[in-house]
Amino acid sequence: MSTNEWSVTFEVFRQKKGQPAHYDEFVMKVDPDEYVLDVIERIWAYTDRSLTFRHACHHSTCGACGMRINGTEKLTCITPIREVTRDGGKVRVEPLRNFPILSDLVVDMGEFYLRLDEAKFPQVATLKEACLPFERKQQVREDGNFERLVDCLECGMCISACPVALTSPEYLGPAVLAAAQHALHQFNDKSLFDYVDNQDGVWRCHSAYECTAVCPSNVDPGWRIMDLRKNLLRHQISKIFSR
Amino acid sequence: MKNEPNSINLLRWFDPRNRKLGTWAFILNRITALGLTLYLFMHLIVLGTLARGPEAYDNFIKLAKTPIILIGETLVIAAGIIHGLNGIRIALNSFGIGTRYQQQIFIGLMVVAAGCIAIFVKSMFFGH
Amino acid sequence: MVNNNQQSKPRAVIIGGGFTGCALALDLQMRGFAVELFERGELSAGTSGRTHGLLHSGGRYCVEDVEAGQECIQENRILRKIAKQCIEFNGGLFIALTDSDVAYGDQFAKGAVECGIDIDELPPAQAIKLEPNINPALLRAFRVPDGAFDPLRLALAFAATAKRYGAVFHPYCDVTELLRRKDGQVIGIRCLNRHEDHFYTYEADVVINATGAWAGRITALANVDVPVRPTPGVMVAYDQRLVQCVINRLCIPDDGDILVPQRRMVLIGTTSFDHEDVDYIPVYQDQIQLMHKRAAELVPAVKNAHMRGAWMSARPLIASGGDARSLTRTFKCYDHAEQGAPGLFTITGGKATTCRLMAEKAADLVCQSLKINQPCQTRDLILDPYRQYFASVRSAS
Repeated sequence: MSTNEWSVTFEVFRQKKGQPAHYDEFVMKVDPDEYVLDVIERIWAYTDRSLTFRHACHHSTCGACGMRINGTEKLTCITPIREVTRDGGKVRVEPLRNFPILSDLVVDMGEFYLRLDEAKFPQVATLKEACLPFERKQQVREDGNFERLVDCLECGMCISACPVALTSPEYLGPAVLAAAQHALHQFNDKSLFDYVDNQDGVWRCHSAYECTAVCPSNVDPGWRIMDLRKNLLRHQISKIFSR
Repeated sequence: MKNEPNSINLLRWFDPRNRKLGTWAFILNRITALGLTLYLFMHLIVLGTLARGPEAYDNFIKLAKTPIILIGETLVIAAGIIHGLNGIRIALNSFGIGTRYQQQIFIGLMVVAAGCIAIFVKSMFFGH
Repeated sequence: MVNNNQQSKPRAVIIGGGFTGCALALDLQMRGFAVELFERGELSAGTSGRTHGLLHSGGRYCVEDVEAGQECIQENRILRKIAKQCIEFNGGLFIALTDSDVAYGDQFAKGAVECGIDIDELPPAQAIKLEPNINPALLRAFRVPDGAFDPLRLALAFAATAKRYGAVFHPYCDVTELLRRKDGQVIGIRCLNRHEDHFYTYEADVVINATGAWAGRITALANVDVPVRPTPGVMVAYDQRLVQCVINRLCIPDDGDILVPQRRMVLIGTTSFDHEDVDYIPVYQDQIQLMHKRAAELVPAVKNAHMRGAWMSARPLIASGGDARSLTRTFKCYDHAEQGAPGLFTITGGKATTCRLMAEKAADLVCQSLKINQPCQTRDLILDPYRQYFASVRSAS
């Protein structure tokens, strides 16, 4: 995009079904302001058509292009090259952690998506329901009854960054818990409390807050998990007194 | 969502590279927890030996003044302070308190912890 | 490899997993076909994914292309009903910034009535009250029923429903060959499963090419062609949701005339130019600058927003002479029997908003050619939750 040009070495994780994993190196001429996904796409288009990777919208709404770049989760369509490396530097590209790898950079999001459905998470909400409560002043218009697509892109980056998801596949995971918290506020469906009130649900979180750190979309799953705990406790206590 | 064998992933808990402050809190909490648990076992074993009479007690006090034990005790106190303060932060968060500022609270608490540990070290090594 | 679908149903292979392919998979499967869909990447990885997500009211086309305008508003209403799960529906505004825009407004109003689009003229002050961030110097404004949708989830919603009816989806499978009989009949495909690095063949009674801008690539496999001209354009996303409604420039279709809100962003698009290689289109800096300029004309506050992303998308426009902008944005179905490749069909052109209609017409053509008498049933069918596309993951393991 700009006239500046860097030379960057891309180390890309490769693995086809039944074959051993390895890294391929591609030396690329890049514009520091272009996005990591653009370069990965160029590698595929001009150098290696066997490279598989997930992408769709290229503008941070679909959540498909999450990958680990130099060990940290990034949404590659909005991550400029200059954010992750410098001229002459290296960029390590790996698939998200904690998901089964289908091939190369493509992971299987199936189980994750199904859990989000179990959490009854809608993709459309009113402006007030869609944002965090402490952001209402900036995000919500008092007049008008507007709706929007919610913040969570279902990209899975929070799951990848979570140390508990790393060792417990049964853990629902930050996105799913955040989704349940959102759905509870939007629909007041108390059955969702049962969905999250167990050892693999909201109590499994150990406050690493990596989910909030990597979320590209203002979801703040860490905050939402704690809010869910607070509301769950209130719910349990009120149940005791209403018996 | 399937993972690789768990033992490798368990070690990955303790790798803070490419991660943020929250992971440091997570790692510290685990290491201090392991340390305190180890200390608890040793403490119970020592107490067991002390039940054998005044001679055992005197021998133990001699041992307790050796540098390695003094350093060990410092580490235990440090672990207790860090784990305790961080634990308060985590407990408050679980009631929805302080979650938005959990990073700042963590830094603040660790500064307090460092202060307390410094005071203890002074008392321990440099007089009452 | 043998199709493991129900026997005795006519077998349809669809190449291309964008909106058209997924909607067609649903339509044909509901009409009694055994559908297998092949897409070389993720669903929506082609043009479909990269759309700025405008659910057209048809206002953009009602003056120049009445047919497109009518199709748009009809499908707009249908999608709002059947795909509610992934659509932000806040309406849109067409705003005039110059005298010629104001004059265009008369044609616009007339065209909208002709197409059946429900519009409402607002006094500029009221438009500003509705959308405080639009250019305060606007001279005329119309309200239209525009919306914004999520590009991946719309495709998944069609795919999930198609799957429930029995369609089989093969993402990451690149079709490399069309299998032919001696008499030229297309009888199947050969594809490379890119996860496994292994080739498979599938037999079919009909093969439908729904690859959009890549339509010519697939038809070339059978030595026939389609007059599709891939026509890329740039889009830019900003990191603030400065408007709630879609803001359109009240003028003939031009570069950067639409600003779409989506999640916490606004998206400006687009340009139009020729480019040889559809597989990779670079983002041009001068086009980005043009988009900044055009966006700021509609919503001046964009100047204080930060650019979150910039990307290219290749529309499939059907060539019939003339420059890129005047190519019809409506769609066409082709039965390649006329060109010596019976069994092969192509559906291309069009836009996201009319994907279901494109699928309906393509399915009509396929049924007609196979002398199958089955009407379309997708008009009123509320689509399944898009996440259920993955429902087989649990039963498989």
